[in-house]
Amino acid sequence: MTMFLKSRRFMLASAVAAGLVFPIAASAATLTVMQTEAPRSMDPGDQTATYTAALLDPMYEGLVKRDTDLSLKPALATEWSADASGLVWTFKLRPDVKFHDGTAFDADAVVKNFARHLDTKRGLAASGRLRTFLDSVTAVDPMTVQFKLKTQYPAFLALLTTGPCLMVSPAADAAGTIGSKAVGTGAYKLQEYKSGEYVLQAKNTDWWGGAPKGEDQIKWTWTSEPSVMNMALQTGDADVINPFPSAFAAQVKANPEMKLSTTDGSAVFWVSLNTKLKPLDDVRVRQALNYATDKEGLVKAFMQGYATPANSPLAPVTPGYDKTLNPYPYNVEKAKQLLKDAGYPDGFAMSTIVQEQEARIGELLQAMWAKAGVKLEVRKMEGGVWSKAAFLDPAGKEKDNIGSSIASWSSGVNGADLQFRPLYYTKSASPAGANLGFFSDPKLDGMIDKAASTLDEKARNAIYVDAQKEVNEQAPHVLLYTKRDLFATRAGVSGVWMIPGGGIVVKDGKKK
Amino acid sequence: MKAYILKKILALPLILIGVSLLVFVAIRALPGDPARLMAGPEATQEAVDAMTARLGLDRSLPEQYASFAYGAVRGDLGTSIKSKLPVTAEIAERLPFTIGLAITAYLLAIGIGVPAGMIAAIYRHGWPDQAVMILAIAGASIANFWLALMAMNTFSVQLGWLPLLGVTSWKSFILPSITLAVLPTAVIARMTRSSMIEVMSQDYIRTAYAKGVLPRNIYWSHALRNALIPIITIVGLNFGSLMGGAVVTESVFNWPGIGRFLVDAVRYRDYPVIQGVTLVAVSGVVIMNFLAELLIAVLNPKIRFD
Repeated sequence: MTMFLKSRRFMLASAVAAGLVFPIAASAATLTVMQTEAPRSMDPGDQTATYTAALLDPMYEGLVKRDTDLSLKPALATEWSADASGLVWTFKLRPDVKFHDGTAFDADAVVKNFARHLDTKRGLAASGRLRTFLDSVTAVDPMTVQFKLKTQYPAFLALLTTGPCLMVSPAADAAGTIGSKAVGTGAYKLQEYKSGEYVLQAKNTDWWGGAPKGEDQIKWTWTSEPSVMNMALQTGDADVINPFPSAFAAQVKANPEMKLSTTDGSAVFWVSLNTKLKPLDDVRVRQALNYATDKEGLVKAFMQGYATPANSPLAPVTPGYDKTLNPYPYNVEKAKQLLKDAGYPDGFAMSTIVQEQEARIGELLQAMWAKAGVKLEVRKMEGGVWSKAAFLDPAGKEKDNIGSSIASWSSGVNGADLQFRPLYYTKSASPAGANLGFFSDPKLDGMIDKAASTLDEKARNAIYVDAQKEVNEQAPHVLLYTKRDLFATRAGVSGVWMIPGGGIVVKDGKKK
Repeated sequence: MKAYILKKILALPLILIGVSLLVFVAIRALPGDPARLMAGPEATQEAVDAMTARLGLDRSLPEQYASFAYGAVRGDLGTSIKSKLPVTAEIAERLPFTIGLAITAYLLAIGIGVPAGMIAAIYRHGWPDQAVMILAIAGASIANFWLALMAMNTFSVQLGWLPLLGVTSWKSFILPSITLAVLPTAVIARMTRSSMIEVMSQDYIRTAYAKGVLPRNIYWSHALRNALIPIITIVGLNFGSLMGGAVVTESVFNWPGIGRFLVDAVRYRDYPVIQGVTLVAVSGVVIMNFLAELLIAVLNPKIRFD
């Protein structure tokens, strides 16, 4: 009997200890948000992850912000203008703004924020894109800054709303603490960061925009297990779940205590074909694979319907997207004919690499393409292993016989250039960029460059329509679908909205 | 005995050096590059190179190991690539949660496994024996992960009796520790049963019966004490697999311990964290094995150590 006594005594002791050690974190005035992964940094300029950006959003602001209707509005800048060349931009800064640590927000702070990205030695995670087009940032007077660009860049204003362009306190950056202790100008400030458990944010009562509209506190947690997300919403452990796993969407819809929100997303899923490897160097073979793919079937089987079959390399939310295109309706006979024309009447064998969570896509394609005589070998990989294999150079891919890679890309509202250039531009061939199949088409390169230097939006979008047609024709990818963004809340939650691509905005979120 | 203890204590640093070297090389041999993962898929090669330099991963392997070992000796396990926080402090913050979970699970496993095994041995071939053995086989073969999800759905979601995630009160310990205890309970029950059966057939037990000692006293004092040695061996040796189970259990329950920390670290190839957590876990396993051996020596003075 001693055994039982001992364990009871322990339970009692741990109960007492638990009461002392663990604070009761949740209260009525806290909005709890659960996402799929932990934040990668408290510094918006040192991460490139959608869900980290969403978590940092209440605490940080850029010169420009994205409004609920997805248009760009003034934030830390009150007005701006560009010269005729589109290379010099001048911004007037908002007066009387302070960082959470009391540091004044002024031209000097803006200059320092961009200087750290232009400094090659810093190696911040999000610097790369800025460095491709930004030449310098200088202070004109204490409340005015000027940006000089190397080349025209249509997405410049949109980029000012993203991670590397959000303003961190120069004092905190100089102290080297910004990576673990957020200091911005936003409506919420960091209260507590327990890296294994949660991030807690509290209202910034000194915010320049007046009293923040959301709850007193926002608490962020995370799990990688979809069924745990679903359970957390049911028990109320979480008020908001982002992204909500589509497998449980039907359950939420049937439950009056919860709300499911679905909006057009920006992540386009595709199979990048290795155009340097036979027989995929033949455009007819690449087209045949597109015809052999039942996109509707894929959307139903893998995405429970929460996706749109892809008809273009761009997502429907991207400016310039052409919804009238329909290049490859599902047609096995046509696929067979094209393979026959290309000299493969009996089909051929190829491989694809895919991350574990998307492995089912590979299996479905295997079954679909088999009908056209293509034998697909699906290699499932853990994320880090996949990333290494996907970014191999042509010789590396030939050695490992990697015929294709299944992945997605999300540039969404930030503009078509950010989809075309990294994925299809000759110079972006991996490992330099995400052109994983080494596709090279001088005609397309020319269109991408021309569009980037076209300042008139209408004319630019017309070029992008041609570029979409060219990509469809050349078929460097088998285009699959654009994912819809799913998030779920408890029924009483209001004011939460989504920037296409998974960027949930909760700072105005209220619970009933 | 003293010499033995001294030898064990002296061996610990050697084991840790060996393990740290192994882990150091193994995680770097794994495909996947922390700089590429941190910089994201959109990063240019230039950005990845800059990140590599910043993380100190452009240095030679011996140089990297030397700086890691030099820090580790002074209690500094480096800085997490992902959270930018010092690894030693991060582990110190999480370790109590893992130890608390492990102790609760072990107490449960011993508290249930030993009596269950005894009952099975006493009623050998009877229905209690069969019931215990069926449950033990089920417990040893059930997937930890699945069991955790089922328990959460039943007791937290449907019945609302227990907290679902994290650590909010002592009640948070119930589901994770039971989940974690299932496998060791099954192992201990089976070990206790076979060990008891063996002891019960010994002459001194027959003698005790002949003397008229109460059966209850025979079971608890005569038999169990002698049957304990293999049980303690199993408990000590199983600590490693308990830590393995903690990795899964902690991840499912959002438990703020070192197991979940390790899983997250592997995903981002957070080398300093993987190295640090592994070192701490291995130290725990070595110490547990050592304690088990000491306990056996105390229980049975006949056992000699050289």
